[in-house]
Amino acid sequence: MKIERNVLIAVVVVALLLGAVLRDQYVLHVAVMVLFYAVLASSLNLLVGYVGEFSLGHTAFLGMGAYTAALCATHFGWPMWLTLPAGGIVAGITGLVVGAITLRLQGPFFVIVTLAFAEVLRLTAMNWIALTNGPMGLAGIAQPAWLAGAGITEAKLFYYYVAVLLLAVTVYLSYRLVYSNAGRAAVAVRENRYVAQSIGIRPLTYALLALGLGAFLTGMAGGFYAHYISFVGPEVFGFPFMLSMIIMVLVGGKGTLLGPLLGALLVTFLEESLREAKELRLSIFGAAVMAVVLFMPRGLMGFLLRRREQRAEAVASIARPESVA
Amino acid sequence: MSFLEVRGMSKSFGGNHAVRDISFDVADGEIVGLIGPNGAGKTTCFNLITGFYAPDAGRVRFRDEDVTALKPYQMARKGIVRSFQKTNILKSLTVFENVLTGQYLAAKQPLWRTFFPGRSVVKAEADARERAEEIVRTMGLGARINAPASLLACGELRLLEVALALAARPAILMLDEPAAGLNSQEAKRFGDVLTTLPGGWVRSVLLVEHNMGLVMDVCDRVVVMNFGEKLAEGEPAHVQADPRVIEAYLGSGVTAAA
Repeated sequence: MKIERNVLIAVVVVALLLGAVLRDQYVLHVAVMVLFYAVLASSLNLLVGYVGEFSLGHTAFLGMGAYTAALCATHFGWPMWLTLPAGGIVAGITGLVVGAITLRLQGPFFVIVTLAFAEVLRLTAMNWIALTNGPMGLAGIAQPAWLAGAGITEAKLFYYYVAVLLLAVTVYLSYRLVYSNAGRAAVAVRENRYVAQSIGIRPLTYALLALGLGAFLTGMAGGFYAHYISFVGPEVFGFPFMLSMIIMVLVGGKGTLLGPLLGALLVTFLEESLREAKELRLSIFGAAVMAVVLFMPRGLMGFLLRRREQRAEAVASIARPESVA
Repeated sequence: MSFLEVRGMSKSFGGNHAVRDISFDVADGEIVGLIGPNGAGKTTCFNLITGFYAPDAGRVRFRDEDVTALKPYQMARKGIVRSFQKTNILKSLTVFENVLTGQYLAAKQPLWRTFFPGRSVVKAEADARERAEEIVRTMGLGARINAPASLLACGELRLLEVALALAARPAILMLDEPAAGLNSQEAKRFGDVLTTLPGGWVRSVLLVEHNMGLVMDVCDRVVVMNFGEKLAEGEPAHVQADPRVIEAYLGSGVTAAA
């Protein structure tokens, strides 16, 4: 618990310090994407890793956040520090409404319903042309005014710091949730629904809490994405984003706070370095995910934790004979 | 005034009457054993009382309040907490974390406090940790407090299960075959711990158990079930001598041969 907290703080501090060093536009862009994906993966992990329900519809919240922020910015001229929370809140409410209906289902049923929900939203965004401009998307989302005078590097740097802030908020809220009575209740639901109920936990409450918080954070990330790319189209609801999130959570290690951050870092770098491989990229990814699921079912963090446990056990088994005697 | 009162409870699955017209009481401070041959309906009875099944007929009253067919988590909030026949614990957590999680209701805080904890949360957490340690020690698991639950031996698992149920601060503790898989020495020790519970950690205990030695040692009263119906009720020694009970367990052939 202490170690995890210190490492999380270190991650945010290092991210802040990196901002003082990074000046290359391409590197900054990759860094922003790492942070963006770290927020997405962390928020998906709240549900997948701590409540144990697998959502394939997390892009629904990403899209809701992105479109909300884009519409608020273009129609009402809201500044970014308002559109991001607005995107988060709309996505969070969507999450609670969807969750109140779908979280009564478990396992594969829940997976299918969430997938369908994201797809319905994608089709809506495609076809409700009056609101969303259809497949053409919403372009020209306003940047903060002072950025117009600044250079491209400064603009990227600005978004980098916003992303660090977003990650800090995500890490703080996730940490608080996981190491609280509510977080323990969520884990109890994941581990054993019957035991959870027999000690007074209502499973739906904590599944909703994790989904609502995850949706809120994802929505903020969506709003951030809309401003950063300055464009939102129906593809924010699409499956590729979902795929990236899942791979990051699984590779990094679900059910740990550090895992998704590690996953986001690794997968984004891998994606960038495999650009030359083109079509082969997805196949390589597929193989990588299968390898992780088969050989490290708890992801990289799980693998590391396991090694620490094994060492502790070895120490304990040496100590035990004395305590028996 | 009766503490737990079960009246005319019935449940059938398809055409099979798993439980038929069962009535019994558990008084304050009592340890009551619910026994019977395999398939007699004891676990179904547990599931009906704790809300995991809804009864077809009958009422459950607890502390003069009708609690029939409440949801399991609502039952726990009323003070009715159970363990399960098949070992049910939170496997990937340590012994301590299991018992800490069990104190969910006691450590519960307003939702926003989760994200902005203040002094009250810090105190509730400290209390929960202290109490978790105390419960672990009471159940004799002190040496294994930081061991992952998945590494416990069978006997230790059963103790952890009771510890987890105790952590939820039950008024009545319902244990479904807690001594299954224990050797006679472990069962004896388990019985000793069990008899210390009423009046301290809990008010009453309702126990389903096949280990007759344990039942006879710890129970104040025994309810015997057979084929979903109540066969006999009374003090352990009295019930043990009841020819109908002997017949249910051993068959009538014994009497015929004698």
